[in-house]
Amino acid sequence: MERILLPEIRPAAPVSFADYCAAEGFAALKRALRELSPLEVQQIVIDSGLRGRGGAGFPTGKKWSFVPRDLPGPRYLICNSDEMEPGTYKDRVLLEHNPWLLVEGLILAAYVLSVNHAFIFIRRGYETPAENLRRALAEAERAGFLGENILGSGFSLKIDLHVSAGRYICGEETALMNALEGKRANPRSKPPFPAIKGLWGGPTVVNNVETLSNIPAIIRKGPEWFRGLAAIPEAAGNKLFCFSGQVRKRICVELPLGTTLGEMLEGPAGGMEPGRTFKACIPGGASTSFFTPRHLSVPMEFDSVAKAGSRLGTGAVIFFDERTCMVAATLNLVSFYARESCGWCTPCREGLPFVREVLTRIEQGRGEPEDIEILREHVKFLSFSFCPLAPGAMGPVDGLLRHFEEEIREHIVKRRCPVRN
Amino acid sequence: MPKLVIDTIELEVPAGTLILEAARSVGIMIPHFCYHPALGNAGACRVCAVKLIDGPVKGIQMSCMTPVQEGMVVSTTDADAVAMRRHVIEWLMINHPHDCPVCDEGGECLLQDYTIAAGHGTRRYQGKKRTHSNQYLGEHVQHEMNRCIQCYRCVRFYQDFAGGTDLGVMGRASTIYYGRFCEGSLESPFSGNLPDLCPTGVYTDKAARFRARYWDYDMAPSLCPHCSLGCATIPAARYRELLKIMARRNDAVNGWFLCDRGRFADHGVNSPERPRTPLLDGRETTWDEALAVLATRIGELFVSHGPGSLAVVGSPRLTLEGNYQAALLAEFLQAGALCYFVERDEAAAASAVVSLLTGDTAVSLAEVEQADCIALVECDLREQGPMLLLAVRQAWRKGAKIFLVGEGSPREQTDSVSLETLRVPTLADIPLADYSTPLVIATPSGSGTADIETAVTAGAKLVFPLSGPNTFAAALLTREHRATSLAEALASGTIKGLLAFEADLPEELLSGISLLAVADRFPSAAMIKSDVFLPTTAWVEMDGTFINHEGRAQRFRKVMNPGLPIKGLDPALHPPRVHRLDAPGGEPRPAWRIIADLAERLGAEQLVEPLSGRWEFLRDLDPEGEGERIL
Repeated sequence: MERILLPEIRPAAPVSFADYCAAEGFAALKRALRELSPLEVQQIVIDSGLRGRGGAGFPTGKKWSFVPRDLPGPRYLICNSDEMEPGTYKDRVLLEHNPWLLVEGLILAAYVLSVNHAFIFIRRGYETPAENLRRALAEAERAGFLGENILGSGFSLKIDLHVSAGRYICGEETALMNALEGKRANPRSKPPFPAIKGLWGGPTVVNNVETLSNIPAIIRKGPEWFRGLAAIPEAAGNKLFCFSGQVRKRICVELPLGTTLGEMLEGPAGGMEPGRTFKACIPGGASTSFFTPRHLSVPMEFDSVAKAGSRLGTGAVIFFDERTCMVAATLNLVSFYARESCGWCTPCREGLPFVREVLTRIEQGRGEPEDIEILREHVKFLSFSFCPLAPGAMGPVDGLLRHFEEEIREHIVKRRCPVRN
Repeated sequence: MPKLVIDTIELEVPAGTLILEAARSVGIMIPHFCYHPALGNAGACRVCAVKLIDGPVKGIQMSCMTPVQEGMVVSTTDADAVAMRRHVIEWLMINHPHDCPVCDEGGECLLQDYTIAAGHGTRRYQGKKRTHSNQYLGEHVQHEMNRCIQCYRCVRFYQDFAGGTDLGVMGRASTIYYGRFCEGSLESPFSGNLPDLCPTGVYTDKAARFRARYWDYDMAPSLCPHCSLGCATIPAARYRELLKIMARRNDAVNGWFLCDRGRFADHGVNSPERPRTPLLDGRETTWDEALAVLATRIGELFVSHGPGSLAVVGSPRLTLEGNYQAALLAEFLQAGALCYFVERDEAAAASAVVSLLTGDTAVSLAEVEQADCIALVECDLREQGPMLLLAVRQAWRKGAKIFLVGEGSPREQTDSVSLETLRVPTLADIPLADYSTPLVIATPSGSGTADIETAVTAGAKLVFPLSGPNTFAAALLTREHRATSLAEALASGTIKGLLAFEADLPEELLSGISLLAVADRFPSAAMIKSDVFLPTTAWVEMDGTFINHEGRAQRFRKVMNPGLPIKGLDPALHPPRVHRLDAPGGEPRPAWRIIADLAERLGAEQLVEPLSGRWEFLRDLDPEGEGERIL
């Protein structure tokens, strides 16, 4: 198979400018600026079927096409590198290995959107990626790929790297824009959507690191080639998957979209730890519903995973073995979200600690049968919160109720955790 | 205009109206905490959930975040919507301390009302409540963070609406904390609105703390007497003590809010030093004797010096009723002078204002917010009318340019509401004609109004912050009854007797006066010097009318009976050993009543209604309305 982003599993050192250029780096940019109009580049990306890799899976070219081309005033492009979803570390690995793909992808996207000022919003903990990017941006500018009148095309672009104070909510695009403007990272209400009114009131597109890093190869090799990378015809391209939990290989690896969960577990993940059996997994980062052994044949691709009752999300697969108490695992995840709520709306700020408390008492053997109903109510009513954080946090709780209700009842009946004790 | 259905009521409302507002317009009250008509929506509390059954949007939606659309069918009683609202209340009560019995907000608490309305009674959360420490926020506002339900109203008002910088929101998730960045007095001149805005008891009025429940208060629609803007207030009193002043809504004047001066400034109503008994040559006497002796002495003065030796003095803080009756008394007695202002300059400035202000040039506070260019000419609105600053800020938020003109316009005033301003030397340096709704706010001056007249020619509207709550009426009466300033009247040397009603008399002007009668509610040097002193009621103890800076006549109602606050009574008076119908210290009378009674003793007809003739049209003015512009 062909890998675009991460040819090696554990790269020894970041790709240098010379190495990148030698491997056709910036060829896509040169070609686009000389031969293609912004709309042509956009069409290639639309045709490629590329969907956002940050979690929502929205078609990238379509997102770009929402930006009105005739609005006066500045418009902005933001690369969202606030990777904080538990289990997800693909952007870090990618940027530690190759910051150039992002830089070139950003310039191409900015060209499509006629953006002259782009931002990379990166979380504080990502020191090495930030350092790599800082160096890459400086070198790209020296080489004439950034700055005024890039390659004589008349197109100018400035990219600012912003190391944020960082919280999970900063990854939500409107909260990210507030944070970038120096305000509290509370999400904004939509509409107006960022494509119309975003950063400082200008039309704004927010794309994930991995999404943008795919752009150069798509431009260079064409949309058909990109679509063909996927394992099934419904999907397009490769995707970075991050394995964690009780598997042998806890690695980030680039795989064709549509590879089944079972193939991943037995293949690149190296199977469960010796002597352990697969009980469940989170297929796409901490905000997604659980998959169980009967889901091993699900192709890991946006629509198939959604059809199977979960979300592909960021592609962070967390595996659980038979020793794992699913109530405790869910409690762990919910605690993260309860802590990371921005505190703007009531359901998220107060509802998540309620769910945490109920899961805690079930896990500690103090649960009552009515508590299951409380969890169910929260899955329903937390979906009416201001932004997707709280509904996302309910993903694992929803999975717990759908697949492991017996395990919850056992906690309540035995008045102790039946798995760990 | 979109047509929609809310709970079987069909209605048509302007595009852009929120479902919550549309429902309110047909009498359906959807609960809300974070939405406020002046602050707009936030979508934070989620208690205004409704279900959209049919139309372009469906499902559970927040009615404060959803503008109406054609064909919407909204249910406020849908089981899911009711359940959502019930859950929101349950979530909010998880951490609320439930200390209603010792909370000042109890009885006027939105959270209390909605919690009862939602039927929330059983606690299902078994964890501990989160707790916060409180901050000292100064002498007026009490902080109690544990009660907070995080509706963000306080910061949205304090920072966005009022431009304050020292109170904000900190933390995240369940650590959200509203307070100052470090403990200390709130700096915004509008901080007192926090107790009014807070839907529960996080911010309460310190002076009134633990003194009364909402249902115990004596309250009535009233006005603020501290400057000329005429902001609507609700004074709240109990046991003959004025405890606090709340903002009252008047969309044409102050909107929903009130400045800290109007709310917290010393009003002297409860003051132990306040004179409450008539005095005759410095000793306490009865009303009957005081008025009889005064009438006699006026007669003696007329015999020795003639009626021309008497001056009747009203003032900018006296009601329209009092000032008008003063004019009638002067005419009846053929007094030598009628005065409403003490100094010549003050009188000249006031008369310049009434001649410059017309129905076209005068604007209300609400109209100030619509200006696109505002010049502050030689004025400091922190002193002259703080609510003007709040209105100027709203104009600035909509894009207006703000200019500071002259050395007398300090930048600190606009800094107090965080405005960007441009400083120019003279009014002529502003291209007023380039703006569609320019406005000049200027200190009234008796000399040199040429530049302001030029500005009016360029299309500018005018606001003159005046000295007192009724300066405008005093200036009108000065013109209509040919009054002079007291300084001018006394300069002639013929004035030997003064009847002064709530006028601030400088001691040095009183040297040649042989008969001095003073009616006032404040103790003063003139009171000590007076031959006859007559105590008057404060504005909260009477009905009355003020005319504000723009010529808007507004009625205020009596809130409380005058009397010594029970709290301040001499312990020797308790338990009461003398039983009587009147409250101790309840003798003060409205100034207009005193004037009318005196006139009656001097031979005039008995007076029932103080507004007559030219002012009769104001008799039925609705105290809860927007007032009546008389220009």
